[in-house]
Amino acid sequence: MATGVKKGAEDDSGEFAEFMADISHEIAKRVESLDPTPKSSPAQRKEATPVPDAGVIREWDNVADRMIEEMG
Amino acid sequence: MSVVNYGTREITCKIVYYGPGRSGKTTNLQHVYSQLPEERRGKMVSLATETDRTLFFDFLPLDLGTISGFATRFQLYTVPGQVYYAATRKLVLQGVDGVVFVADSQSRQLAENIESLQDLHENLADEGLDPRTLPLVMQYNKRDLPPAEISSVAELDETLNFRAVPYFAATAINGGGVFETLRSIASMVLGRLSAPAAKGS
Repeated sequence: MATGVKKGAEDDSGEFAEFMADISHEIAKRVESLDPTPKSSPAQRKEATPVPDAGVIREWDNVADRMIEEMG
Repeated sequence: MSVVNYGTREITCKIVYYGPGRSGKTTNLQHVYSQLPEERRGKMVSLATETDRTLFFDFLPLDLGTISGFATRFQLYTVPGQVYYAATRKLVLQGVDGVVFVADSQSRQLAENIESLQDLHENLADEGLDPRTLPLVMQYNKRDLPPAEISSVAELDETLNFRAVPYFAATAINGGGVFETLRSIASMVLGRLSAPAAKGS
């Protein structure tokens, strides 16, 4: 379903702030209802093991090779 | 990829701006970057040729800080639109959470838009992602060009938006429609936090 068209020049001031407000609201809605675990204390949180970002490209070593290959 | 990690209290979303060459993908990211407050402004990585065309891809990390106890980051990527960078587009799509398809509104670019959209679907399928369900937003860019040179939004939507996803007219060159588009795709991606597959890790 299309939600409609928004266009035209924007008031640049506060664009990011508005975006942040919307995103914060969206996240707050989601995480409160989905969090499968009781809220941990700050000390417990420190023990959590960080994991690498799944979305980050990890094949940087191959980037130059791929570029050369594609440009060739 | 999972977008929420309850162990480390992190939310990470990868959004890719896709579309034909010169449709305005990099311009979208440049506008977002220009609006970031100083303290959140990281480095926008952009590899361009001397004629300013995207050579490989652009990467803009958006660190939104801690929201509801979760360190939240958005990673915005563009792909090079030129047909011959097919492998690069596949690489950039790895682990994508949502796609913004930036279409060029110029009538003479309609075939390129269609070809790029087909390319997107093929690459998503190759990555094991379902093009029918992945969060997607359409952006019809360059609405500031003379009316005689561009297709109407209705025509573009009829031709390109067969999934009937949210769509936005934009003039990315002056920022029009850029944040509306980003807000929409971000909301769709975050909305999938409720999906079982997104709760893991």
